[in-house]
Amino acid sequence: MTLAPQQGRALIVVGALASVFTALAFRLFDLHVLQHKELSALAQANREQVVHRQGRRGSILDVNGNLLADSLSVRIVTADATITAPQASAIAEKLAPLLGTDVDSLTRKLSGQSRYIRLNPRVKLDEDAVQKIRAMKLKGIYFEDQFVRSYPNGPLASHVIGFVDAEHRGVQGIEASMEDYLQGQAGYEVIERDRKGREIRALRTEDLGPQDGLNVVLTVDQVIQHIAEQELERAMEQFKPQSGAIIVSRPKTGEILAMSSRPTFDPTEMDASSADARRNRCVSDVAEPGSTFKIVVCSGALNEGIVTLGDQFDCENGAFMYAGRVLHDAHPFGVLSVEEILFHSSNIGAAKVGLRMGPARLYEYVRRYGFGHKTDIALPGEVSGIAHPLARWNSLSITRIPMGHEIAVTPLQMLMALNTIANKGVRMKPMIVKSIVSEDGVTVLQYQPRSVGPVISAHTSELMTTALRKVVGPEGTAPKAAVQGFDVAGKTGTAQKVENGQYVRKYYSSFIGYFPASNPEISILVSLDDPVGGAYYGGSVAGPVFRAVAEKVAEYLGMVPQTPPTEVTKVS
Amino acid sequence: MTKSLFVCVCVAISGLGYVWQKNAIYRLGDEIKKREALLSSAQKRNLMLAAQLAHLESPAELETKCQGYNLSLVAPKESQVVRLYEPGPEWDVQMANAPLPARIPAQQQVRLQVRNPQPRAIAQ
Repeated sequence: MTLAPQQGRALIVVGALASVFTALAFRLFDLHVLQHKELSALAQANREQVVHRQGRRGSILDVNGNLLADSLSVRIVTADATITAPQASAIAEKLAPLLGTDVDSLTRKLSGQSRYIRLNPRVKLDEDAVQKIRAMKLKGIYFEDQFVRSYPNGPLASHVIGFVDAEHRGVQGIEASMEDYLQGQAGYEVIERDRKGREIRALRTEDLGPQDGLNVVLTVDQVIQHIAEQELERAMEQFKPQSGAIIVSRPKTGEILAMSSRPTFDPTEMDASSADARRNRCVSDVAEPGSTFKIVVCSGALNEGIVTLGDQFDCENGAFMYAGRVLHDAHPFGVLSVEEILFHSSNIGAAKVGLRMGPARLYEYVRRYGFGHKTDIALPGEVSGIAHPLARWNSLSITRIPMGHEIAVTPLQMLMALNTIANKGVRMKPMIVKSIVSEDGVTVLQYQPRSVGPVISAHTSELMTTALRKVVGPEGTAPKAAVQGFDVAGKTGTAQKVENGQYVRKYYSSFIGYFPASNPEISILVSLDDPVGGAYYGGSVAGPVFRAVAEKVAEYLGMVPQTPPTEVTKVS
Repeated sequence: MTKSLFVCVCVAISGLGYVWQKNAIYRLGDEIKKREALLSSAQKRNLMLAAQLAHLESPAELETKCQGYNLSLVAPKESQVVRLYEPGPEWDVQMANAPLPARIPAQQQVRLQVRNPQPRAIAQ
């Protein structure tokens, strides 16, 4: 049987169609069954996207909840220059006023070859500006959310607060030491986008929101910090020292109310600052303290019962030969009591008290007061200072250490030693972080004042206060540090600086004091490194700065003067 | 025939319902997204304003503004401060047990002199 020609053609067509459909069926089977795993994964990857979102870094607040550092989410405008290049100048003219930049530099950026340029890395765009740019519908211009660290007070307390790097990680100050609390936890979302690249919200499968970092509350009070910064700035202008520091604290708890260093920097303009300016000199710099250190030897000797305040020492009329070297006083003194040695600040007197005390006991008190050890304040970069072990003392050490030579301390260590005397002989750890709180105000961690232990007895502390009160009296070395209405106890320090192993005619002037002396509320350290212009004694350089700070702090804290200036007023 | 029609209608209604429901889910998703964007925007603005407020309230800024407006604001002198002492429980007990004070003539009250550290008033 033979087929008709049309039937043969029909068979060919049917056969061809069958082959095509078979091939298609096989392809479908291949795609949907054989390659299902790989292809479905590819399809899912095309549709789905994992979006990571960084949690906001926590804020740093002062003791009253005022914002010192915060993280702001800002829109960064980015551009693909390969798209914007043909219309670079036109786009630049539209964007420049909103981005706060000039047209020429923007045109240059937009006409380059890079596919990713950040147009406003430093300018915080507000939402209105974002909406305006969005409305322009410029091709090749995109938006990106980014956190930037904001310091609303500018350079205020910059050494304490520190700063963050480009990755938003703390580099210095509280930003670095409290990094674990401040940093937020990243979250992620698994989303699907439509063909225009917009998220289809209904198809969001996983949504693990980011967690914001915790807020750090400091013991620092921004008003007291401002007072300290202002007065230090004035002192820097007046005496033009190489550097300066002021610390204000509460002796009973060790809380730091203000900590200021000069030179300083603005954390919002990091590029403009040098590494030298960024160093917190209150904890990172050491210097021979000079006469302020006499509080250590005198309190130690009094505590051991080796001397009384009334015991007298011959101060050799200003020149005392010991171990082949002559020790001088700034002014010649005859016989002085221990009390007078303190308020006249006699080097020879202090050396003789040290000699009577002996090296072992003197060294014990040096260690007890915490010299040669870090104070463990929550600030990075703290150094331990230099307090040589007894084995490394030479024959002169016993006469030099009592007057604050052959030993190097940080300003914070010196203030903490004074605080020990103010706090009935009990040494406190310095405290700069008060608490850690969550965004909704719940306290996660509350720091408490910590005592290191007693160094001297309460009675010795009272004796020392009696002597130190006279330092700001008319006979003392710092009458300019007296605060009207308050009983101040303090000690001056004027140490010659060492350069290339030699003492030179440069001085480290300081004053440490607390008030009210009978019930100390506030202690202040002022130090100026190498003041110029003639005056260099601690009493005449740092003393007035102490008074200015103390008066304003007392006023701000509402401290009631013990001896009000006016006696009687009439009640109407 | 009726049964078939009923099944067809049911299937059609189910299909339409499914599509409507899907559509509603997508619309709701879009609404949620818009609200999320608004919330995020408001939170950002809030943070920005908080930072701005902190800057405006900073002691340095307040001082600059005072100088700028020539307000000549200075802290009060001690003699201008009236301190109000808040008696504690001991004071209450003391006052409760104290004998009633004799009446002071009005003229004497006007001329009453107060010495420190008692509360003081501004000199007239």
